[in-house]
Amino acid sequence: MPACSYACHSANHRASRRAFLGAAGAAAVLGPAGFASPAAARELAKTQKRVLVIFLAGGVSQLETWDPKPGTDTGGPFAAIPTAVPGTRIGELLPHTAKQMKRIALVRGLNSVSPDHGIGEKIMLTGRKPEAGVEYPHIGAVSAKLLGADGQAMPGHVHVFPAGAGGRSQDATFLGPKFASVPVVGGKPPADLFRPAGLTDEADRQRDDLRQKLSDKFAKSRRSAATEAYTESFAQAERVFRKADVFDISKEDPKTVARYGTHDFGRHLLLGRRLLESGVTYVKVSHSNYDTHHENFDFHIEQLGEFDRPFAALLDDLADRGMLDSTLVVVMSEMGRTPKINDRYGRDHWSAAWSVALAGCGIKGGAVVGKTNAGGTAVTDREVGSGHLFHTYLRALGLNPTKNFYPNERPIPIADPKADAITEILL
Amino acid sequence: MPARCRAVASVVVVLALSAGGFAAEPLHARIDALIAAGHPNYAKEAAPVAGDAEFVRRIYLDLAGTIPSAAEARAFLDDTSPGKRATLIDALLAAPGYARRMAQVFDVVLMERRPDAKVPRAAWDDYLRTTFAKNTPYDVFVRELLSADGTDPKTRPAAKFFLDRNLEPNLVTRDLGRVFLGRNLTCAQCHDHPHVGDYKQADYYGLLAFVNRSFLFPNATAATAVIAEKADGDVTFVSVFDKTKAVGATGPRMPGAKPLDEPKFDKGKEYTTAPAKDVKPVPAYSRRARLAAAVTSPDNPAFARTAANRLWAQLLGRGLVNPVENDHPGNPPSHPELLDLLTKEFAASQYDVKWLVREIVLSRTYQRASEVPAALADVPADRYLVANLKPLSPEQFAYAAAEATGETGLARTALAAKATDAALDAKLAPVVAAFRGVFAGRPGEPEDGLTTTLDQTLFLKNGGVVRALTVAKAGNLADRLAKLPDDAAADALFLAVLTRPATADEKADVAAAVKGAATRPAAFGELVWALMASGEFRFNH
Repeated sequence: MPACSYACHSANHRASRRAFLGAAGAAAVLGPAGFASPAAARELAKTQKRVLVIFLAGGVSQLETWDPKPGTDTGGPFAAIPTAVPGTRIGELLPHTAKQMKRIALVRGLNSVSPDHGIGEKIMLTGRKPEAGVEYPHIGAVSAKLLGADGQAMPGHVHVFPAGAGGRSQDATFLGPKFASVPVVGGKPPADLFRPAGLTDEADRQRDDLRQKLSDKFAKSRRSAATEAYTESFAQAERVFRKADVFDISKEDPKTVARYGTHDFGRHLLLGRRLLESGVTYVKVSHSNYDTHHENFDFHIEQLGEFDRPFAALLDDLADRGMLDSTLVVVMSEMGRTPKINDRYGRDHWSAAWSVALAGCGIKGGAVVGKTNAGGTAVTDREVGSGHLFHTYLRALGLNPTKNFYPNERPIPIADPKADAITEILL
Repeated sequence: MPARCRAVASVVVVLALSAGGFAAEPLHARIDALIAAGHPNYAKEAAPVAGDAEFVRRIYLDLAGTIPSAAEARAFLDDTSPGKRATLIDALLAAPGYARRMAQVFDVVLMERRPDAKVPRAAWDDYLRTTFAKNTPYDVFVRELLSADGTDPKTRPAAKFFLDRNLEPNLVTRDLGRVFLGRNLTCAQCHDHPHVGDYKQADYYGLLAFVNRSFLFPNATAATAVIAEKADGDVTFVSVFDKTKAVGATGPRMPGAKPLDEPKFDKGKEYTTAPAKDVKPVPAYSRRARLAAAVTSPDNPAFARTAANRLWAQLLGRGLVNPVENDHPGNPPSHPELLDLLTKEFAASQYDVKWLVREIVLSRTYQRASEVPAALADVPADRYLVANLKPLSPEQFAYAAAEATGETGLARTALAAKATDAALDAKLAPVVAAFRGVFAGRPGEPEDGLTTTLDQTLFLKNGGVVRALTVAKAGNLADRLAKLPDDAAADALFLAVLTRPATADEKADVAAAVKGAATRPAAFGELVWALMASGEFRFNH
């Protein structure tokens, strides 16, 4: 790929890039053996659907990714490259992704209304404009609720993100805390998943037996559903603990680890696949940070360099394990970036015309829907909003988005009734 | 007393009440009579009154926000005086723990764990504790909350209800309805409630009209912002269900009441301080200033009713109207006469919170056992045949854990002569903060019922804070137990953590657990954990 004339490649630049991207340290230790047997993975694939959202936090530039405009005054320095789908070109920073294009559908006519990080994120993850009187749940909570199985061992909704990049999210709202995201920070297991030092397996088992005995006696004499729920929560934590290996990337075949890459995002994406395979219904993997108000082009080289290879590896990996047909994959941001390039070689926040990519369950690979004008400043064909996308996710998963939830007996449509699915990209 | 006579006695009491009240009979007795009258064969089917062990734990949790120390429990259990429960109730009501407990409860009712942006936590805590320590009449308290504008530092904490909602009019309206009137009017922002005929859009905007002219000055983000008000601005609304898009309008009014009479002013006379750049306007007439009186007026029956119901729900685990914030004719109270009685008496007492709390906890209804009698096949949710379980609040959980494991005792010893309640609270603050961090509801979300998320369970199972409390260290419970012979240790363990003696079975379990263990202190550390993590500890029963 041609050197970007905006990058200075000095030591200062590399240092500030590290700070900017929050890149962390050590490579994972490689080890033998895959996580689940291929047979088990196929079995899982047959009966269960799941969702993986790759969230490019900060606002990825659609002009540097899915809808390039080379040779225009908004296009920037990069070329557009051909992909495995004749007639479809994407940004040259995504060569591996380009080879996967037969599996990927593009929505290029997205207008998400708000160029604000917080509001945009809400709009993109709830499929709604913020409304008075109701807080809508994120697609993660909705997926966990509608696709999850009762008594499943793993939590239904997990968010993998780099340390320092997130916090406790109110993303399940009226669906309840059971479907709220469990944070997995920096790819590490949930806090306190493992036994503390000094507590042997034997001692833990023994104390837990007594806890259980006392709780059972109490629950029996009070006949309360709440006491049973409390006791059950310990059993659930134990089930998650028994699957704690899922967080240990070293248990993965080193060749697989190498394909994803040992940088943070690569490991997090691989962890996402492991979590899905272990029974988590919805995993969101965040990649920071795309908020490129300055040095947009240089930073996109770095960021997309981190994204491109693992993303392609993921699609291959899911396909190899027979999971691609039952896993919906979505690549999104909270917004796009301005076609206009500012005086610091940056692009600013932009919601009027940008793109989202989808693959996997129910998605027509290779389809492209929506067009923007020559400079990318407006949608010219098939404009859609986050509501249409939300409908599309649910339809792709075989769910009915026109049904309602009934929190406190108040009917709340699962998806925005004013929108419907983008059938052009559905199988 | 034969069942027939008891039934007759109940009827007599009920008749006496409807005839204008038998004034000499204390409220707690009338509560019991009405509860008994609310279920056929109540006397036969209801659980007995709770034993001393269950009572002492419950009353400490409800009135002091923590479990009794082992010594306090022992003293109560050994006390043979007939009136000991009433004596203990009075002692707890007079102690600082009561104010702390009520402050914690009302903090969550009023502020739902919203971030402290414009009124610092310490000032708000202080204000609440002082309110309940002084036993400020509830209507006076609510008038303070609704009339403070934040300019006077002495009354600024009371303005937190508005200030830390950024005076966002829809949020304030919804919470006014919810907290003080028992009406969750959320749906009515956009249309008449489709199912609850009583909750109309006009009601929502009638409330909003009290605050629609108010705003934060100089702006919504300043930490020292105060509440200012313009002299103009009218409230109109359109129903999203109405195809004709007819526009409604309303002045300030309580739900179901007439709009207020509002004075008119000549042009130029609407302000005493006219709006100007960086100048806080002061209107000649303030809509918001009328809110406090309108909410707490005797002409607004929802106020006293909701307040009484809320206190009942706090102590009994379930409102007479349930949920507390959904009071409307389609959701009638389980015991209408009782709710009317509590409402009337609470108002007549000048909204004396401590008095009403005392009457409720003196009742046999409150003191009923939580263990379901074997003969009772079905436990209806709303008949008070058996005491309801109440999950410990994050604060109760923290304080109880600290007391049970001996952490509170250690803190007291360390402080020695300087062990004031404030100093003790400060020492325990990190434990309380840790429990709050894991168990508290998310900001703006209701905090009722039990939640059991993975992070909460792991916090209890493997977390460092809980482990530091339970593991034996010099002077704490596990350490002291390890020095006792097995039998005595088992009793001391159960008394300290579960506020009751150990059964023979449980003593055997303790002995077995300790026998195989490498060291006694380690074994007792894990035993303390097992009791603390059990359902029996998690709930106020």
